[in-house]
Amino acid sequence: MAIVLECRDLSFSYRQVPVLDHISFKVHAGRFCAILGRNGSGKTTLLHCLNKIIPLDSGKVLIFGKNITDLNQNQIARQISLVPQEHLDIFPYRVIDVVVMGRAPFLRLSQRPGPADYKIAHDALNFLNAGSLALKNFNQISGGERQMCLLARAVTQTKHLMLLDEPTNHLDFNNQYHLLSAIKSLCRSKGISIVATLHDPNMAALFADDLIMVKDNTLMEQGPARQVMTQKNISALYEIPLGTVKINEQKKLFFPESVLKGPPEPMDPNQRTKEETKGGS
Amino acid sequence: MRSAKGKLLILSLVLLILFLVSVSMGRVFIRGTDLLTLVINFFSNNETAKDLLSRELVFWWIRVPRCCMAILVGSGLAVSGAVYQALFRNPLVSPDILGVSAGCTFGAALGLVLPFDSFYLVHILSFGFGLVAVSMSMALARVIALKSVMILVLAGMVILSFFNALLMILKYFSDPYEQLPSIIFWVMGSLSKVTWENVLVMAPFTLAGILLFVALGFRLNILSLGDIQATSLGMTPSFFRRLLILASSFMVAISVATCGQIAWIGLIIPHMARAIAGPEHERMIPMTALLGAIFLLTADTLARTISTAEIPVGIITALTGAPIFGYLMVKNRGSGWL
Repeated sequence: MAIVLECRDLSFSYRQVPVLDHISFKVHAGRFCAILGRNGSGKTTLLHCLNKIIPLDSGKVLIFGKNITDLNQNQIARQISLVPQEHLDIFPYRVIDVVVMGRAPFLRLSQRPGPADYKIAHDALNFLNAGSLALKNFNQISGGERQMCLLARAVTQTKHLMLLDEPTNHLDFNNQYHLLSAIKSLCRSKGISIVATLHDPNMAALFADDLIMVKDNTLMEQGPARQVMTQKNISALYEIPLGTVKINEQKKLFFPESVLKGPPEPMDPNQRTKEETKGGS
Repeated sequence: MRSAKGKLLILSLVLLILFLVSVSMGRVFIRGTDLLTLVINFFSNNETAKDLLSRELVFWWIRVPRCCMAILVGSGLAVSGAVYQALFRNPLVSPDILGVSAGCTFGAALGLVLPFDSFYLVHILSFGFGLVAVSMSMALARVIALKSVMILVLAGMVILSFFNALLMILKYFSDPYEQLPSIIFWVMGSLSKVTWENVLVMAPFTLAGILLFVALGFRLNILSLGDIQATSLGMTPSFFRRLLILASSFMVAISVATCGQIAWIGLIIPHMARAIAGPEHERMIPMTALLGAIFLLTADTLARTISTAEIPVGIITALTGAPIFGYLMVKNRGSGWL
């Protein structure tokens, strides 16, 4: 399997505090690779290092064997797109005008997108079944629709590698599955490689092919989901005792032990009133 | 809905008609037929009839340069405002935010207070201090070097207050009968002293600036998404931010150095343009330039015809700009932008 991205011994520190410490992994073509880790473990920083939004302190990132420090930002953008986490309100652009921005790395500096570029953008929206959004105001669509629009922009931008920063953040139950299924289908039908940071290990268990587990700024574990999605690893990663729920022969979901044991018995209402009166007196 | 090109064409026609009306209006009224004769005489080198001579002087040496200047300053200030708003991703930003105007005003006041009685010195000091103020804001932001855009705004506020304080010192120590009124008149802005020379200095820079911004229109859309997204789309935001801030500050500085502070254009005209042409910068920048020219030309015509004594044009722009801005805010509410 072709290697799309390789990360060798990557380190980054912010004001002498190490954020990422000697991280190495590979991303193969057409695979969905999820980065898991607790808040503040350096997931987003790692993602931003991969397309030079943040410069590395040491180590290398290779895209198709080429060191990204030897490429300019435009050359990187042709290979690697990003679906960002932040959703600040911008000017009231139409969705299609946001999607067509994905063509920017392929245009000359003073060139504006032409009909061919708009066609690519429309195709990307249609591929994600979001063609009806095209003429809507980006600021007035729902969070799920915005993520779809940004995903379409990433599809417009590159056929090789997509980085997604917490793509399911702020999405409702339906939209989380809808979005991850769409991402997975991009992997399968277009052969696009995905690197996504995810909050929920169960989402990773359901959708990811490979995993990168980041703990205390270092790589804790990596490999295909079948090998590394174990109770022991997830429990160590999130520092909480876990139980599992088996959904089929290959896949199981993880929940904190305390939740699986069942919720604590509700307090006897009489008891509580007594205690409250005691406290009040 | 009419196409963007159609709208631009209509507004260009409006500007042309307005120009013709504006050059004929004023204390000396020039009739349409006389206007035509004057233009024909100019191009065919005919001798002008004696009774038209005074009108010829007013027309070629006062009205035409003044109207050209109104168009240049109006479009330059408006376009700079649009670029600033895109770079700072904020609708309330005008080109004053990094201290250009404050620096320019201080420079002009310094020129007026200094003993050398040179009008050139006033222009040069004004222009120089405008650019110094912006450079100081950018340097300060660079030293702090955290979240870039927010810090840049704060650094701008620091520098702006600093130059306003310096201006107050100058006002306090200036001669209240001669110097203070001229400083105050400068702050209010006026096009009354415009010469052909000013127009010829100003025109190349303004036109080059507008061309640069029109060419980079699509890139402004991308920059307005913020640094992370702009970088992931293949741009280097810090470089473009510096380039565009310097270019637009240059345009503002040269305007303020020639005509004083003319308020509100940089703030409201981009909003009007967005309401007409949509928010995409490749479409709204040319619209902004045209609307800015129309707005200032109208305001200046009013300033010199509304009463026998001329009113500073800055007062007219502020007086009309504020309610227009209020109206636009009401109209655009709920677009997720205001």
